[in-house]
Amino acid sequence: MTVFRFVFLRSFRNTTNLIFLTLFPLVCIFMPQGDPWPVLPYGYQLFGVFLLFVSIRLASYIQVDRMSGVVKRLSIAPLSHASYLSQHLLAYLLIIMLQCVILVYGGVLYGQPLIQPFLLLILYISYSLAALAIALAWITLFRNKELAFFGFMSFVFLVSVLGGIIVPVSMFPEWLARIAVLFPTYWLAEGQLWIVYGNELGDFLFVNVVLWLYALVFMIIGSTRKLR
Amino acid sequence: MQGVVKRYGNAVALDYVDLAIYEGEIVGLLGPNGAGKTTLIQTMTGMVPIERGTIKLFGQSNNPFTHANKEKLGLVTQEITVYDELTAKENLQFFAGVYGLKGSERKERVQEALAFVGLAEYADKVPTKFSGGMKRRLNIACALTHRPKLLIMDEPTVGIDPQSRNHILESVKKLQEQGTTILYTTHYMEEVQEIASRVVIMDQGQMIKGGTVDQLIQSIQHEERIHIDVADTSLLPVEQLQSIAGVMHVDVAGTRVTVISTAGSGNVDRILSLVKEYTGVLGIQTENPDLEDVFLTLTGKQLRDGGGEA
Ligand SMILES: Nc1ncnc2c1ncn2[C@@H]1O[C@H](COP(=O)(O)OP(=O)(O)OP(=O)(O)O)[C@@H](O)[C@H]1O
Ligand SMILES: [Mg+2]
Repeated sequence: MTVFRFVFLRSFRNTTNLIFLTLFPLVCIFMPQGDPWPVLPYGYQLFGVFLLFVSIRLASYIQVDRMSGVVKRLSIAPLSHASYLSQHLLAYLLIIMLQCVILVYGGVLYGQPLIQPFLLLILYISYSLAALAIALAWITLFRNKELAFFGFMSFVFLVSVLGGIIVPVSMFPEWLARIAVLFPTYWLAEGQLWIVYGNELGDFLFVNVVLWLYALVFMIIGSTRKLR
Repeated sequence: MQGVVKRYGNAVALDYVDLAIYEGEIVGLLGPNGAGKTTLIQTMTGMVPIERGTIKLFGQSNNPFTHANKEKLGLVTQEITVYDELTAKENLQFFAGVYGLKGSERKERVQEALAFVGLAEYADKVPTKFSGGMKRRLNIACALTHRPKLLIMDEPTVGIDPQSRNHILESVKKLQEQGTTILYTTHYMEEVQEIASRVVIMDQGQMIKGGTVDQLIQSIQHEERIHIDVADTSLLPVEQLQSIAGVMHVDVAGTRVTVISTAGSGNVDRILSLVKEYTGVLGIQTENPDLEDVFLTLTGKQLRDGGGEA
């Protein structure tokens, strides 16, 4: 598990990263409730966008490794590519899960009306899986870290707007609302809606399963598309 | 490796290459830019797949890239592949860990590797603060912690100061004394002449010649090198010089023209009088060949400076 340990070390070594990874969930906790939308306080909405950024930021370490030749160098070490990749993803997932826990239970302590905090945590984790997988697939498209990051920014903006995180889907025209279903952000918003108003547990499960499917599909794309 | 072929699209990077490396040797692999040196290394370590041929590693040819074999292999990459966020020591801990070293053994090996490349004082500094030579040395150290039996070094001295270079050459010799087999790739003749027990020369994806330094020089013993310093090199009749029987190579650099020619052919006089017709001669000097000339004769290229065409 050497790779796993050093992923943590690298991720937290950079001060910008450290601030980025710890400060933002804290800030999100204290954001006010909107009226009548979104159903949960603003910070819990925004966190969905933020998680996409965290994912690409973390995944870019893998991209840097590919570009710098570290991945090639490791390919001759007694370490399989699958092991390299899974140790990275596991570490990233833990980092993100920690942020989710901070956000959700910090909110509970602060007194935010989160209705069902544990299920909200589950929802965030499912969503993080999807976000991480998308980021992993995304970086295989680019040979340059900056380009990948800025490309991703536009992608995140699009996904956030069209997925109903910044504007409620109910305000979209019919056809646009139908497209919204394609974005993971839509399912995050749906899940949050359920947490506040839903009662059939099956509906909540469905939302999570959709997010897991995203994760699965993009994980496969991201891990099989090796460079060169 | 035997009969190895590797293509990139239509370009043939390795063209039926044979190479054997025996235990305890330092094999110097020489070749100009694009000769296929890095590709050769990448194929023999299993980094890239090959189209044809066989690769045998530590006696195993069916499935040479097992984890057990990989543990015995060390590679110093041509590019510097270390983590910028991690200190020198952490980088070494990482690579040692990847090779399965743990606890106190790992600690020892990391210290040992740091001392070996002369970076002990810089253990807790990140490579972004290092000079080019220090980065190169760290890059080498990363391949040493697991004490490979076969160490492959891809141009480990490119673009560094003479002090670091000497340090690296000394280290390579020391490693051999400790029982490591080494494949050493370079553009620099002097390095090979200094450390290699055997040399192979490669160009355009093909093995051109192999042998000890002495054998290679012997093989062109019948040649001599003539340096003439002239007043104006632009006036030189280069084509006429090349057309003289026995002349193998003409090279102009600065105020000097160098001609490689068959020894004892009387060409020295012929060349001198021809040059005199066109420009003033300031001095002349003849020399026996060295490894540089072997290379020049075999490939028609200069090793360094990107390998200008003859
Ligand atoms: N990934 C690749 N894709 C396409 N062509 C490649 C690739 N790698 C190498 N080549 C080509 O294969 C040939 C051999 O390249 P290689 O890098 O092995 O040479 P080299 O001897 O290591 O050169 P240098 O001294 O510059 O490092 C070159 O013509 C190069 O352009
Ligand atoms: Mg090379």
